[in-house]
Amino acid sequence: MTTNAGNFLQMKFREYYKDHGSKIPSPTSIERREFGFLLFKEGLMTRHRSFKSINELGKTLVDLGPSDVYYSAAYYDYPTENMDKKGWRGSNLIFDIDADHLESDCRRTHIVWICKRCQRTGVDQPPSRCPECGGRIHDTYWICEECLEATKRETIKLVDFLTNDFGFSHKDMLVCFSGNRGYHIHVEEKNVTDLDQLARKEIVDYLRGTGLEMGLHGLSEEDFTSKKIDPGPDLTDPGWRGRMARAVHSLLSRTSVEELVNQVGLPRRTAETVVSGKDDILESWRSSPPWHAVVGVGAKSWEKIVQFAIKRQTVNIDTVVTSDIHRLIRLPETLHGKTGFRTAIVPLEELDRFNPLSDAQAFGKKATRIYVMNSPEFRLGGEDYGPFKDERVDLPAEAAIMLMCKGLAVPHD
Amino acid sequence: MLISKNDLAKYPFTHEARRYIENLHIKIEELAAEEYSPILERAERRIEESILYGCVNHQWTNSDVEILSFPASIMLVMAIRDNFLNRRCALGEARRAYNLLRSEQKERILDVSFETFNWNLKSTIDSLSGQAFDFTLDLRSFLRNSIAFQDRKWKLVNRVMINGNIYLTREEAGRLLQEEVQRQVQERLSQPMRLELAGILEQRTNRLRELLDTRKKTVKSYEMPKEIVIGAFPSCIKVLYDNASSGKHLSHMGRFALASFLLNVGFSAEKIIELFTEASDFDERMTKYQVEHIAGMRGAGTKYSSPNCSTLKTHGLCRSPDEICKAIRHPLSYYRRKLGMTRRISGQ
Repeated sequence: MTTNAGNFLQMKFREYYKDHGSKIPSPTSIERREFGFLLFKEGLMTRHRSFKSINELGKTLVDLGPSDVYYSAAYYDYPTENMDKKGWRGSNLIFDIDADHLESDCRRTHIVWICKRCQRTGVDQPPSRCPECGGRIHDTYWICEECLEATKRETIKLVDFLTNDFGFSHKDMLVCFSGNRGYHIHVEEKNVTDLDQLARKEIVDYLRGTGLEMGLHGLSEEDFTSKKIDPGPDLTDPGWRGRMARAVHSLLSRTSVEELVNQVGLPRRTAETVVSGKDDILESWRSSPPWHAVVGVGAKSWEKIVQFAIKRQTVNIDTVVTSDIHRLIRLPETLHGKTGFRTAIVPLEELDRFNPLSDAQAFGKKATRIYVMNSPEFRLGGEDYGPFKDERVDLPAEAAIMLMCKGLAVPHD
Repeated sequence: MLISKNDLAKYPFTHEARRYIENLHIKIEELAAEEYSPILERAERRIEESILYGCVNHQWTNSDVEILSFPASIMLVMAIRDNFLNRRCALGEARRAYNLLRSEQKERILDVSFETFNWNLKSTIDSLSGQAFDFTLDLRSFLRNSIAFQDRKWKLVNRVMINGNIYLTREEAGRLLQEEVQRQVQERLSQPMRLELAGILEQRTNRLRELLDTRKKTVKSYEMPKEIVIGAFPSCIKVLYDNASSGKHLSHMGRFALASFLLNVGFSAEKIIELFTEASDFDERMTKYQVEHIAGMRGAGTKYSSPNCSTLKTHGLCRSPDEICKAIRHPLSYYRRKLGMTRRISGQ
């Protein structure tokens, strides 16, 4: 990114905070939170800042025009001190769902790199140096509706876990679009505030299904060999038991012999037994779960089926973010320096139809002239743009600013 | 409410027992009096049993002696000032409590957990998924105590949880309370001693100190071997090590796990920084800062231990666990164990 674009963006961000800064809700106990800023100029993080009120913070945002604004999920006695002197007094429970962690098919085409010297570009894994001239590489992540939909589905799954299994009420949860490739979920509730790192790790493992033992949910080897009374997991069971049952039910209703052999790892004969009998299995499931009823399918096979099926039930959260009790996280309703999008708060009832590419825009449609070095085709606010290569174009402000934020364009007078 | 003296004798760590004892207004100087000697005698036995068996027995004839011997034993232990003894006695008292609680009436368990430990424990008679439960417990109190356990049945992911309430049997509730008791006693013992016991108890503390020393000698500590044997790394670390050596990208957690492991087996900070220079995203200043931080050369000066197996699993870094992995919980234990094994084989 040239200084030129940096200055321009800083000016635009300052204007934004001047006009819309009042929309930023104050974090609870704002005076006990640590704040951090990234600036367009230095690209370095300023940390350990603190503010007495949201107004004071708002003024600073207008003065600085930072590219990114973070605050601590934690509360401290002395938020401006160094880490070991801060006096930790608790932390919100936070979750980060990022397209980067999802294995979507489109993901590989999302990295676009550009050589800072000769402007050569490419997609996929960036080289460490430009293959043409040996110059330094600037890489940018692109986002598409497909990825964003996938992260939204994960978010909806997470909310389901947090509500039904963990018992958080909707007013304890704040869901935000991250401003780039995913969602952040903040949980603020007195019973989670003082959970330490290890306790939070247990929550992470619960959501990701890490360490889940079938045998402890009514499907042990013993349950199969002896005549136990436990009928095994059923569709309406609470927690993971129910999730396991529902996962297997849904897998059975759509699976094929090939999938069971190649991906689940069942012996062909077992797979054939399952597939040929699946209508009967699903039918009989109306009265009782099928675990002991299918001749030729034993504990080992069910285990494989369950382990495969539950992958769709787990939530792909960033494990490090949730277990870190000192984490800085993007402040809701501030701008993201790599996109110019808002870290938009999404009311739970609107999550389903929320589309960040139009609903998290901050800069409007006023025509803005820029010079684009290189940009793939992209979609924003319901319109398609590009591809552009070494050309001068007039774009709506939100699109122009996004390209500049990604370092692929500079302002043009 | 715990009503009878017998209840207080069972659970002398509870707030009720504390209030009862305070109301007796016994002065420290009076402890030397002959009438109190059964109390001091029992107090000494409590500590002795903790040192020897890690568990205080729960049989008594005189409830008053049993109740008062608990704070008396706390005083004796505080006078000795030994961390190992503190831990041992906290464990001994906690195990005693567990042995009583596991077969206690539900009402008593509810009393103890609420009055003293502020749990939100509720009685239930639900039989869920073919299993009978006695209680539900709030997530916070559950996690606070369950994370100390290694058994997989205590992992949250393997529990029945509805609306943030975890279902427990009576025995399980007792086991979780054991952790609370242990923490509470440990905290009491670690407080600075405000009283001078001097002569009154000297004989007893001397005897206990002697017993403690004998016991300590039987517990050997073992050191990390001097030379570094890469062949003895567990596969999780080996994968990270190989990736770093060949310049592949490691996640932040991966870098931390590798660097902290290597520091603990004897790599120098310089050697580790050199290893990371292979990576395409190498930033010397940053790497140097991070590695020196882990080594305790910066910041608060804490030397970091490397993450344990459970943490590596959470962050998806556990790779192809083998037979040794089943017996250990920490990559460093793997390393020690494997070295022991390879040595034994080569020494044959």
